[in-house]
Amino acid sequence: MKQLKIIGLVVLLMIAAVIIVGRSISATYERTTLEAENNTKLPILESEIGAFKVTNEALGYMNIIDNKKSKLMSEYYSNRAYHGAPPTIPHEVDERNMGENSCLKCHQNGGYVDKYKAYAPIVPHPDMVNCRQCHVAVKTSKVFKESNWENINKIKVPYESNNALVTSPPVIPHQLEMHENCLSCHAGPNVSKEIRVTHPERINCRQCHVINNKETIDIGEFVRKPRLNN
Amino acid sequence: MPIKSYIAHPTEGRRNELIMKLKEFSSCNITPATNQEIVIVVTDTFSNEEDLALHEKLINLPELKHLTLVSGFSDEEIIN
Amino acid sequence: MQQVDRRVFVKKMAISAAVLAAVSMFPGIIFAEEQEQNIPKGDLEWKKAPCRFCGVGCGLLIGISKNKAVAVKGDPKSEVNKGLCCVKGYHSVMALYGKDRLTKPLVKKNGIYVETSMKEALDLVASKMKGTIKSHGKDSVAIYGSGQWSIADGYIASKLFKGCIGTNNIEANARLCMASAVTGFMTSFGADEPMGCYEDIDHANAYILWGNNMAEMHPVLFSRMLDQRLKRNAKIVDFATRTTRTSMAADKSILFKPQTDLAVANAICYEIIKNGWMNKNFVAKHCKFNAGKTNIGYGLTDDFKFKDEPKQIDFASYKKFLEDYTPEKVEKYSGVSARDIKYMASIYGDPNKKVVSFWCMGPNQHTRGTWMNNLIYNIHLLTGKISSPGNSPFSLTGQPSACGTAREVGTFTHKLPKGLVTNEKDRAFAAKIWGVPVENIPDKPTHHTVSMFRALDRGEIKFMWIQVTNPMVTMPNLKRYRNGAEKEGRFIVVSDVYPTPTTDVADVILPSAMWIEKTGLFGNSERRTQFWEQMVTPPGEAMDDGMQLLEVAKRLGYGKYFPYSKDKFVEEVYTEYTKHHAGKKHEMAPLEVLKKESGMIWPFVEGKPTKWRFNSKYDPACETEGFHFYGNEDGRATIWQRPYEPAAESPDDEYPFWLNTGRVVEHWHSGSMTRRISVLHKAMPNSYVELNPEEAKKMGIKNKDKVKLTTRRGSIVMLASVNERGIPPKGQVFVPFFDEHFLINEITLDSYCPISNEPDYKKCAVKVEKV
Repeated sequence: MKQLKIIGLVVLLMIAAVIIVGRSISATYERTTLEAENNTKLPILESEIGAFKVTNEALGYMNIIDNKKSKLMSEYYSNRAYHGAPPTIPHEVDERNMGENSCLKCHQNGGYVDKYKAYAPIVPHPDMVNCRQCHVAVKTSKVFKESNWENINKIKVPYESNNALVTSPPVIPHQLEMHENCLSCHAGPNVSKEIRVTHPERINCRQCHVINNKETIDIGEFVRKPRLNN
Repeated sequence: MPIKSYIAHPTEGRRNELIMKLKEFSSCNITPATNQEIVIVVTDTFSNEEDLALHEKLINLPELKHLTLVSGFSDEEIIN
Repeated sequence: MQQVDRRVFVKKMAISAAVLAAVSMFPGIIFAEEQEQNIPKGDLEWKKAPCRFCGVGCGLLIGISKNKAVAVKGDPKSEVNKGLCCVKGYHSVMALYGKDRLTKPLVKKNGIYVETSMKEALDLVASKMKGTIKSHGKDSVAIYGSGQWSIADGYIASKLFKGCIGTNNIEANARLCMASAVTGFMTSFGADEPMGCYEDIDHANAYILWGNNMAEMHPVLFSRMLDQRLKRNAKIVDFATRTTRTSMAADKSILFKPQTDLAVANAICYEIIKNGWMNKNFVAKHCKFNAGKTNIGYGLTDDFKFKDEPKQIDFASYKKFLEDYTPEKVEKYSGVSARDIKYMASIYGDPNKKVVSFWCMGPNQHTRGTWMNNLIYNIHLLTGKISSPGNSPFSLTGQPSACGTAREVGTFTHKLPKGLVTNEKDRAFAAKIWGVPVENIPDKPTHHTVSMFRALDRGEIKFMWIQVTNPMVTMPNLKRYRNGAEKEGRFIVVSDVYPTPTTDVADVILPSAMWIEKTGLFGNSERRTQFWEQMVTPPGEAMDDGMQLLEVAKRLGYGKYFPYSKDKFVEEVYTEYTKHHAGKKHEMAPLEVLKKESGMIWPFVEGKPTKWRFNSKYDPACETEGFHFYGNEDGRATIWQRPYEPAAESPDDEYPFWLNTGRVVEHWHSGSMTRRISVLHKAMPNSYVELNPEEAKKMGIKNKDKVKLTTRRGSIVMLASVNERGIPPKGQVFVPFFDEHFLINEITLDSYCPISNEPDYKKCAVKVEKV
């Protein structure tokens, strides 16, 4: 394995200098810091906030390189029964552990886990902390009895026909519930390379990518209804 | 095998000449800014010596006012 | 093999590191070549056009194949969007191909629409106009257009109505959208349109959004802000009446009670002065203080009239006035904590921070819209944060040419391309370029939009031609104006591309060519004029709106005033039009520049755009060093004393909720184009009423339950939305207005700002019941 070593990193001394000078100006100035505090009183829109989470990593995600070890979609489906089903846990876990303080250590922000020689996938819903309610460990590879279950609800990748035009952004082919955080599955070192986004730095995903399955059945084109005279 | 990227500032009014000159170097990749007098230069050479020599040539171009190094990468194994 | 890939990859990484560094060192820089390599090319012919939809004015490249538009990509050379679009832009060309596209003129005969030829339809329109003028006078005919008129369309309409027919009965739906922005600019600076440009985003340290859900309404600019936050740690503050996608993305979200933005803005000014954050030198040299009338009313009756009387005041009395607006006092009725008010003031007050304020419909669609615009300028003027890179009070627009056509061509009753109809010199100047007798142009404005539709209802206006807009969805208190349009003895002509609730009331429907089916020009919010050429042929007999007007002008006997060629009339009209704006203060870029570039900002002086007006460093029209607010005769900008006054209608026991209306990212305005785009329709199939989750629970209303909304104007039943796109605070509900099947404007109130005459769509009282 040819190891690539970065010997130099981005040098932005000029900018740093400007920032330092700027900060030291007017030391006497009474200032309320621009750092906003979290205002817990305000409502949170789960469906909307997701896209803006883990975006501090977005610039780093730009430089992720595909290699032979990159995950494939087949692996993604290997530990879930259908698209949208909770994945099983592919590593050992402490039986009495609920999740909050242990799972999130690795799965909240991802990163390399030496123990498993792998990057931890990032959970798209870190606020739900009773992890083991849905995610179970795999203790045996044998089955009790064979099943006719087929995982047919896979989203085929590359997903055809979800671009209206050659150049238009694909629509989102899945439900958003519990998957509001786009980057957790579409950027970073542990996502399937077929669905890795080419532009993680753009953050406001739903500016261009809209969902198309708000209704459970296809609602078809817009048809005008005549006005009822009142 | 060093790969380095620079921000090049042309001498006033000589942006296009600088771009022409830079294009002549086979080990230079250039990306000119569309709306400002800035050119991004990426050099790709086979050895440190060659890299130094190229750098020397670049900074002596009369069309170039200033060259700022942004990043440098090297593949250790290839150098060894 | 792998080694080669890696070298290529490392090189890419080296370039991206350098691009990143350049972006933070040189704000506004673009690397179009680098981007062009990354976008699919395909076997298509690509032509440039500004986007058809909002006022941001993104540069698009349209892929054309066999006389059909088949693809869109962002124009990497455009300084507006730098290669990125929003979901509407990417799918915009699909709006050309809806199945129910109007392709033949339709004339209503005995209640039934009958197809006819364009020639006959235009003959009918002209003869109806002639007949109406003959029997009821010039002021009985009117034209109502929009900020979607291309520059040439609006110019021809203005010249025909004001210069030839001799009536000031011309308005545009821009009146419903940014009239308050215009009066705000005119009263504070004496010159319309923002002083800065979008590049301010690349320089600013903080963005304060005043009642502006930019993540949905100006997504491309919002993305530029997010980008700057990522790269330069700029901060976003969302100051709004409800929680939205923008609030979720912002560093800080602050909620205020409807109408109290007036008080909070004054409280910010109070804090700035109290803490010594005022830029005394700037204020002394470049500002003056004015007070106007108070208790100015709401325009609810037909005979309502208002004229402001500005009085110059001194700083001491302005300071005294602000004592009513201490953060502690304002906290009590605004719902914004004194701490949050001080926090906002501290951002504006910090001499080391560059601040951009963005706003759009929140402060504009406001019964004190002009005041609200004035107040935001006050903050920037007191701190001297204006007209320089990154310091910018920035009023945004919603229509592609709200600035370019409605404001700059002046398609309003009181306006001329340059100046006002009330000014003798301005009339003479316009008449000279138009080549018409100066007596033709009447010296008194007639009706602003609401008043015009009221006059139609009363019968003073008998003939109305509506182009490129859908007032039967967008007028407030809609029922009155629809009934008026349908009354006996009214003749309504509608030029549009699809059947809409407005074509439903038409006597003649003229099929129009849209956007890239014609040649045109738009002007966006940052004073950028953009040209596009015709790319595909319009369907059937569909005809350019400007050409429809020219054909009717000819039939009315005014042909000699419009001596343009059939193929090049847009270009000829533009060249004539630019004569109105000659001079350093408003020089427009010539056609050959616009054909080559992805738009150009005016004033375009000696081959260069003026990015920051009123600042001698950037603006050659300044006559003094430093700043020169040359729109006002004394060169000074005005800081206005404007108090808090309540809304026209506030919640009470019978109607206990505020009703707020607005937009969503998927649909553009009344949805007549975007709903024909399947991707957008499927993503947002219908309108809804957004409720506060706690209140919904208390009323037993679940998501998608039927809810009845009742105001003093009537009621409407629609589906509830709980915990979806937005969350209104308790005591408020929100309804998007795009859906013609749920006409929310049937129950909104037609109160308006007495100075700008722009209606307030954001506030009226409503009752909410589960059905």
